[in-house]
Amino acid sequence: MASREALALFLSSLDRRNYYEILRTPSDANPADIKSAFHAFSLLYHPDVYADSPDLGAVATEIFKRGVEAYRCLSRRETRARYDRALTRGKIRIELGMPSTRPPPPLVRTLEMLARTPRAKKLAEKADRLIAIAMLEEARVELVGACQCEPDNEELAERLQFLYEAMALEMP
Amino acid sequence: MPAVGIDLGTTNTVVAAVRDGVALTIPDPQGHRLLPSIVSFHPSGSTLVGCAARERRLLDAPNTVYSIKRLMGLPWDSPEVQASRAKLPFELCEGAHGGAVVAVRGERYTLPEISAFVLRHAKAVAEAVLGEPVEHAVVTVPANFNDLQRAATKMAGRLAGLDVLRILNEPTAAALAYGPPSKPQERIAVYDLGGGTFDFTLLDLAGNVFEVLSTAGDTSLGGDDIDLIVVDRMADEILRKHRFDARAQPATFGQLRVLAEEVKRDLSTREEKLLSVDDLVPGERGSLATWRFSMTRRELERASLALIERTFHVCQQALDAAGVQSRELDRIVLVGGATRMPLVAREVERFFGQRPIVRINPDEVVALGAAIQAALLDRSRRKAAEPMQHPAIAEASVAQPLPEESILESDSADSAGGPGLQSLPLVGPRKVPAPIAVPPATFLPGAASKPLVFDVPAQRPPARTVLYGAGGQAAPAVPPPLPARPRSPTMPFPFETAPSVGSGSRAPAPPAPVATWTPPAAGPAPSLLPRPAPLLIDVTPLSLSVETVGGYCDVLIEANMPVPCDRTRSFATAADGQTIVVVRVAQGKSVRFSENTFLGELELSGLAAAPRGQTQIAVTFEIDADGILQVRACDPETGRETTAHMQVVGAEAAPGDVEAMHARQAAHPLAPLEGE
Repeated sequence: MASREALALFLSSLDRRNYYEILRTPSDANPADIKSAFHAFSLLYHPDVYADSPDLGAVATEIFKRGVEAYRCLSRRETRARYDRALTRGKIRIELGMPSTRPPPPLVRTLEMLARTPRAKKLAEKADRLIAIAMLEEARVELVGACQCEPDNEELAERLQFLYEAMALEMP
Repeated sequence: MPAVGIDLGTTNTVVAAVRDGVALTIPDPQGHRLLPSIVSFHPSGSTLVGCAARERRLLDAPNTVYSIKRLMGLPWDSPEVQASRAKLPFELCEGAHGGAVVAVRGERYTLPEISAFVLRHAKAVAEAVLGEPVEHAVVTVPANFNDLQRAATKMAGRLAGLDVLRILNEPTAAALAYGPPSKPQERIAVYDLGGGTFDFTLLDLAGNVFEVLSTAGDTSLGGDDIDLIVVDRMADEILRKHRFDARAQPATFGQLRVLAEEVKRDLSTREEKLLSVDDLVPGERGSLATWRFSMTRRELERASLALIERTFHVCQQALDAAGVQSRELDRIVLVGGATRMPLVAREVERFFGQRPIVRINPDEVVALGAAIQAALLDRSRRKAAEPMQHPAIAEASVAQPLPEESILESDSADSAGGPGLQSLPLVGPRKVPAPIAVPPATFLPGAASKPLVFDVPAQRPPARTVLYGAGGQAAPAVPPPLPARPRSPTMPFPFETAPSVGSGSRAPAPPAPVATWTPPAAGPAPSLLPRPAPLLIDVTPLSLSVETVGGYCDVLIEANMPVPCDRTRSFATAADGQTIVVVRVAQGKSVRFSENTFLGELELSGLAAAPRGQTQIAVTFEIDADGILQVRACDPETGRETTAHMQVVGAEAAPGDVEAMHARQAAHPLAPLEGE
């Protein structure tokens, strides 16, 4: 199960991730790796995992459906080869997307809102933007800077914790 | 409030729940765990369901409705509906929305309404035993059910006053009941031959993830078809010997069906079955002739072999779809009452090169799996409790491993409702004597006036008390010590022996308090290994397509895609100034649109008039976790959601109709459970 913040983070970055990144598997993964990556993905994002929370369930559903698309494509040799070629041309998705009808990500306050001092706010705002484009490592550097400015800001520290959590998930 | 699992079957319905980490099927006050899916509209105005309705099948055939599960959601002119119409003794006619309706006692009921009566009965049975209201349920369907059949089943649940947490595929439920894999990775198959449908599903089990790889099925292939083989033989013989055409007499034909079922069932345990019937066939000068019939197992097997062979074509489809060889599987699980035929186990073994497994009663396993999924999805409980574990299966539902030679021994009278045989639940934990011993029949009030038919243990094969069909196993006053269940090498999963929970009372003993739920015995807790709660990843059984020029299918969502999933497709106008685009949607295996099940027409209206091809609409087709289609459309230019109206036949009626259905349910109280 992923935290509310991690779900929001993942949903907002979905359209910038290729299928390998969605399933968190290296692009040279073998079929067995892809299958276990999909299982790990499902344990995090299958809507049944969030049966107790309809709004998180809706977010998880959107993520899960994209994972199914990725799994289906990568688990067959022909479609995967075609996808790999498309990927070299910068096309990260085979399907036609329809972003406008997706449910909004759950309300999460931005890092910039959590920071109090001008210097921390500036760093936090940078981290917000980097997270939005799924550059988590770069975002982490900024957020660590913000946290050092405000060592007593527990909410900010908690977000850093979530970011580490999300990055740990990134590791295939 | 507990959430239950309901296996809404063609012939029988089973309800189960998880209590204290143990999944159990729930018996009615008479101890039947299989509730016949039969609804009878009594002249008194009350509605009989279950065993009470079964007796009415012969007494009041026109007002007793059964075998309608597969017809729900199908259009009136479909071959299935028309074939059933010819065979069933009650009146089926065309409804306002193109589906079939039943006309009984001057009232017309849609088929989901009939199923709603069955579900209400199951709900009442569960409430009586659990002692609290039941509002949430997981209801199972054959894996091969299409969108319309699933939607109709869900509607039936709503009409019965249930919040349907999930429409679950029967084989998937069975896999869940069989529990987590015995090694890190396991590939299993579920062979599910029920009364009316056949399903075959392949799964990969890895840790707590149950991933369905593929599924295939035939919704008109089941044990009923084997009954018909026997009926045909009977009718031919009667015609030859007695010059009497039983096929032309619906009442006689109905009785032959009941007899045929009995013959089939008995031939699973015996080599030959003899029948002698005095009151069926007319003799000379208006009297009745004695008709004698005999059939051997060998004869039945020879006649049904072609039918069983058909199941392997279906198996092969699923294997091909998953790219799996028939000999690569780790285990094969048998589900469904019809798998009790020794022929089935033998042919399955021949096809897959290994002995199939029957560890849980094949009539109950689906409901048990549904109960496990219900417990997982039950929101209120999940929040409170610590992480859920994989529930164990109540001892009462455990079947013995198959004996060496294919003797799927069934002594169950319950499973098929043998005339006059009252079946009894297996009562009481193993280690302690049964809580209530059977009083001698003479102690029972009313025993003198009304003959109580007991399933006398002495009539059973004495040594071989195979627990295959626990529902029908007679519990003698002192339960015989059971032989230790050998752990077959094919199923090393350490099965957790949880104490059996009986209904606390043995029907038909009227004075005893009925069916109080006994929690599993305190004291040394069953050695439950911590097993993480399972996660099911199920698939959609049929391809979803839109019609293209020339009547072909443009596949949007392929069969065996994990659900929930979606696919967006853009549609353009074909003529200048066109303001309406109609998209026809169907589900099925064929490449020709007309050979698939037509789901409906999607009308996208109110488009801006423009030169042809300029207006584009993006339509997203989503298959939700229940396997039911959801559609939404939007204009990709503006991103605005278009009002898409999708018209479907059968279940999805206008809101006014739904209210009328609810009103009819309210107007027809179920007859109270007997023994209450």
